Amino acid sequence: MFGKLTWQAIPYDQPIPLAAGAGVIVIALAVLVWITVKGHWPYLWREWITSVDHKRIGVMYCLLGVLMLIRGFIDAIMMRSQQAAAIGGAHGYLPPEHYDQIFTAHGTIMILFGAMPLVIGLMNFVVPLQLGVRDVAFPTFNSVGFWLSAAGALLVNLSLVLGEFARTGWLPYPPLSETTYTPGVGVDYYLWAVQISGIGTLITGVNIVTTILKMRAPGMSYLRMPMFCWTSLASCLLIIAAFPVLTATLAMLTLDRYLGFHFFTDTAGGNQMMFVNLVWVWGHPEVYILVLPAFGIYSEVFSTFSGKPLFGYRSMVVATMLICIVSFMVWLHHFFTMGAGADVNAVFGIASSIIAVFTGVKIYNWVFTMYGGRVRFSAAMYWSLGFIFTFIIGGVTGVLLAVPPADFLLHNSMFLVAHFHNVIVGGVVFAVFAAFEYWFPKAFGFRLHEGLGKAAFWFAFVGFWVTFTPLYILGLLGMTRRLQHIDVPEWRPWLYVSAAGVIILIVGVVVQVAQLVVSIRHRDELRDVTGDPWDGRSLEWATPSPPPMFNFAVLPDVRGEEAYWGIKQAALDSQTLAPEPEYQAIEMPRNSPTGFVTAFFATVVGFALIWHIWWLLILGLLGAYATFVVFAWRDLHEIEIPASEVARIDRARRQARIDWMRDNPGGRPA
Amino acid sequence: MTDAPATPAGAPPASALARRPVDPHALGHRTHGGHHGPATGHGEGGPASKRITVAYGFWLFLLSDIVMFSAFFAAYAVLYREYAGGPTGRQLFEIPRVAWETAFLLISSFVSGLAAVAMQARNKLWTEAALLVTGLFGAAFLFLEMKEFAELVAAGAGPQRSAFLSAFFAVVGCHGLHVTAGLLWLGTMMAQVWVKGFRGTIQRRMMCFLLFWHTLDIIWVALFTTVYLLGAGA
Amino acid sequence: MSATDEGLHGHDYDDLAPGDEPPAEGLGAAVRGYVLGFILATALTAASFYVATHNVVWEPSAPAALVTLAIAQMGIHLVFFLHITTGPDNTNNVLALGFGVLTVGLILGGSVWIMDHLNTHMMTLQSLPAAGGAEMSMKP
Repeated sequence: MFGKLTWQAIPYDQPIPLAAGAGVIVIALAVLVWITVKGHWPYLWREWITSVDHKRIGVMYCLLGVLMLIRGFIDAIMMRSQQAAAIGGAHGYLPPEHYDQIFTAHGTIMILFGAMPLVIGLMNFVVPLQLGVRDVAFPTFNSVGFWLSAAGALLVNLSLVLGEFARTGWLPYPPLSETTYTPGVGVDYYLWAVQISGIGTLITGVNIVTTILKMRAPGMSYLRMPMFCWTSLASCLLIIAAFPVLTATLAMLTLDRYLGFHFFTDTAGGNQMMFVNLVWVWGHPEVYILVLPAFGIYSEVFSTFSGKPLFGYRSMVVATMLICIVSFMVWLHHFFTMGAGADVNAVFGIASSIIAVFTGVKIYNWVFTMYGGRVRFSAAMYWSLGFIFTFIIGGVTGVLLAVPPADFLLHNSMFLVAHFHNVIVGGVVFAVFAAFEYWFPKAFGFRLHEGLGKAAFWFAFVGFWVTFTPLYILGLLGMTRRLQHIDVPEWRPWLYVSAAGVIILIVGVVVQVAQLVVSIRHRDELRDVTGDPWDGRSLEWATPSPPPMFNFAVLPDVRGEEAYWGIKQAALDSQTLAPEPEYQAIEMPRNSPTGFVTAFFATVVGFALIWHIWWLLILGLLGAYATFVVFAWRDLHEIEIPASEVARIDRARRQARIDWMRDNPGGRPA
Repeated sequence: MTDAPATPAGAPPASALARRPVDPHALGHRTHGGHHGPATGHGEGGPASKRITVAYGFWLFLLSDIVMFSAFFAAYAVLYREYAGGPTGRQLFEIPRVAWETAFLLISSFVSGLAAVAMQARNKLWTEAALLVTGLFGAAFLFLEMKEFAELVAAGAGPQRSAFLSAFFAVVGCHGLHVTAGLLWLGTMMAQVWVKGFRGTIQRRMMCFLLFWHTLDIIWVALFTTVYLLGAGA
Repeated sequence: MSATDEGLHGHDYDDLAPGDEPPAEGLGAAVRGYVLGFILATALTAASFYVATHNVVWEPSAPAALVTLAIAQMGIHLVFFLHITTGPDNTNNVLALGFGVLTVGLILGGSVWIMDHLNTHMMTLQSLPAAGGAEMSMKP
């Protein structure tokens, strides 16, 4: 009746997941009850859950990412503490079967459910605003994509209370991931969570590429786009090119597990090395999918807070597109040691070294952007400067690993672990925080407390280096990754230092949360009145904070490389705004529950497949198809915002700026 | 707006331009005439029409689908000699049946193109007729393919027999699944054309469906060449 | 996101949606295009099957011949059915297709090259000349 699902699926004998799961359920229920009691459901349903507005969807993506980042961080705390505690005769507190699930969940969640939603959320929020248009190309699909990602995240977290998670590491290499060696549901949770959210990611990829290539404000040629849009384009092209390979590879593993196919089995001709090959064909572009938008964020921050246009814009564009293409030519460096031989290894080693050059070009351009500018050291700038230092070192260790003979010594050691955290944390996580500081006012209408933001940065920066420098040393001392117990006493001091670093990081997280709480409390003093708190250069700063649903009352007419800068300069020089435009009614896409309902059925389908509940599977598939048909039959796609409403909102925007100019004669915003 | 058909909708008429000083940084309507094409590399025109946007987005999705197929093809290329002591392609593949399947799919693709022309002519009857014929030939293709699969399984040459057969069933089956989904979509499209006629959304969906259907035939060309013709021991 | 047009060809001057016929053609020309494409595709298909089943080309070159015919037929589909041409109004569509082709080439070529080396160097059962890899009779 319920397939493989029995009461034994609840981990009664494992106190930690039981307690954690219970805690999450209690908190979630408390939140739901509070919302119900306060009567917020109509607002939430109307304004957020069924919203197809790219800004709302972007915020929800970021919220999902932050929640999952916290869960992944807790996994990390457990891993570091276990390794510090389980040295020599001591055993720590996590049995191996549990520890294996934790490092698997840590990687899966951090990359696929933490970093990806954050980066995608930022792209969703910012790109249409920077392009000067009203939304992405396919707004309802955007909502579907978000809710499918959330469905995947839900399934992963469900494994905490029902069943188990995979024990294979974040990439489920066979034969361990085959049914012979993992008969339980752990790998199945992984497979369906990743496949379902993968559909969402692909939707985002198609959406953003189409938006950037086909929907820009009049006059915005390719070479007038902000750098963040270029990097978003490159990243989303990579999504379109790489994610299908992951889909296919995981589908092959699924066929092996569910229908007895022999792609990767150790009998009947299966080839386990092929899994490694195909999954890294996806895996390498995936890290560039994460880091390219991060590079775009840094481009925006460096140029805004140096008060100068980005140095070497065209070389940045070329470097970005070259990274995009070459990132598809380096994947073998993830398995130099699997035995392809010297000639294959050499080719991919050289390609991996070459791709570092393009990033080097970008770093020089950022540094030269600051040179000769009037640099303002805001919290966003702190994160960006911290990135320059951190990422250079991380990148250099990467080039070291790109040399096959060196990699033979360091593959799957803690050196590798330190390297990839170095580039992901220094590159992607720091960028997310910089973007948070930079674009939060635009999204919510008030700035964040600067002092706490800078303090949070310092804890994160110092904490990162204290945590991960010992891991580099441990790798060179010969420690491998994913160890639940440490046999070598010489490694003890380094493990202790690393655990201490984690404590510093925890303080950083607390301070970051404190920044948010304090800023909300003081939001009236921190209010962003004009919509341009940083003296920005691109079009998102032309809108009020937060922007109205339609973004721009009239689409901007783009005349130069920094679309907003020229407009602002003219206004400041003449101390008047351009004449009021002719307001017209605006058609915007209608909200729709399609995304939410589709994801509901997707969750049902995923759950049914994991637990082999076949009748539930059929119901779920029928429900998904019915949702599609109902949406396809919709007659009313748009709502119209009357010209008077558009005029009212835009006049308020203009008045705020006129008032600011009157109160600050001859000054610049920020 | 009053006069001046050459200026874009919403722009001040040309006579007003002559009087007002031109503000090159106006955050508003363009004060010059000019090319009004949709966003291309030059981006002068602003956002493209829905027709272009929808079709291009779908084209991108199709390319991602082709990449997914290529991963299955890659797996087939690696595993196609792993017979595990079982039957080989030469022993299993029946070229005449493949020829019929190819013919049915190609005819189906051709007729769907005629459906596009009928839609251009706004002729509901011919559109529905062409779509129906498209579907029938597609269903015939699927029937032959399912028959082949059933026979292989019955003869002990199912996907569980060897890695070669796993890869074969996966790559050919993936295509068959796409054809099945396409037929479901086709049925829904026929219903929508019947009920809602040729309004914009229906036309755009038809364009997407036709793109999908032709692409499936392109993938079949790759399939029958590399899997069947080469595999049967050319 | 105001709805610009709903019409068939949208008066888009220098950009074509993929799959769209150039608006200048009439219905007759459109049908003729499909018919011509169909005839050419049928001819290429017949040629492929003929090459595969009869001894018309030097045996070792048969795979190359088949692949060439397949690529040609894909081209016929692209041009006659999908209307993807190299005109300036099709640039974005062709670029996207090129990106896809590049990706497919890297995945297929790279994987075959890598796996071939891996199988040889790691002496997998399948790469050994003896048991496991050879063709055998149809045993269950």
